[in-house]
Amino acid sequence: MTEQAQGAAALNAVIADAASGIALALRGEGDPYALTRTLPQEDALSPAAVRVLGADALAPYALDGGRGADGAGSADAAMVRQALTAFPPGDDPAAVSTWSYRGLVEATRALLPAHAAQLPPAPDPADDWLDTEPWPRLSHRVSQLASLALPGLAGALTDRLSGRTEDLARGFVRAVRRRDWQQAAGLGRWLARLPQTPPSLGLDSGLRFVQQMSGDPRAAVHLTAARTFFGRGR
Amino acid sequence: MPMDRTAQPETAALAAEVEGLMSAPEPDGVFRDTRECGGGLLLAALLLISPPTPRPKTETK
Repeated sequence: MTEQAQGAAALNAVIADAASGIALALRGEGDPYALTRTLPQEDALSPAAVRVLGADALAPYALDGGRGADGAGSADAAMVRQALTAFPPGDDPAAVSTWSYRGLVEATRALLPAHAAQLPPAPDPADDWLDTEPWPRLSHRVSQLASLALPGLAGALTDRLSGRTEDLARGFVRAVRRRDWQQAAGLGRWLARLPQTPPSLGLDSGLRFVQQMSGDPRAAVHLTAARTFFGRGR
Repeated sequence: MPMDRTAQPETAALAAEVEGLMSAPEPDGVFRDTRECGGGLLLAALLLISPPTPRPKTETK
């Protein structure tokens, strides 16, 4: 294995570990959640994993009464700050990267308000693609932003996506047929949040099917979030 | 193979990996060629309906 491939595999492993911890916490199982308990502070890959997971790194704090482990907020916010500082969107950033960065800033402000000082400003990401992208590409991008489908977060994005609910429903079916479980789970999570998801889609059975078929920890986070926060896929 | 998590990748490479993971291109789908599947089905059907292999007659007493 080359050094680069080993680095990528190591980062993927750290992300998968963290995602498993987040999914467990969203199911209400295990110890009280702390990001710094799921991702060791001394591991140089932890901030990178937080940046990739985006707002999901703090998702368990959005549960009713999800106060997290005692005293964890300060250390968790520090790790998020480290991730935001070390991995800002690049010079010519992908829209997903900027939206995800914004989502992480917003989530920290909303979920760890006592520790949200000294956060970098939230960027203003491009949003024209929300209206112009054809549905397969829109679905792919939106699924990559599934971490923003949290209660109280990204309200403006949710409103814009409401106008394309049918396109996202098409994308969900396409992703399932392609066996792209991560995309299907991400889209399913958005569709669980959107108010006008057509009943004919069979979203609940679809989410249960994706759960049966997928063994991916990040997909598990999306499916658990859809169930816990929006009551879909039970 | 156990992963060596103490190996610190360079920051730039790590940033590129992070960007790559966040906005990864859609994987190519795996689609079956209908004609290939049809050919396979036809072959299987022909094998099923083919007459049994001729066997030497056993002597009857």
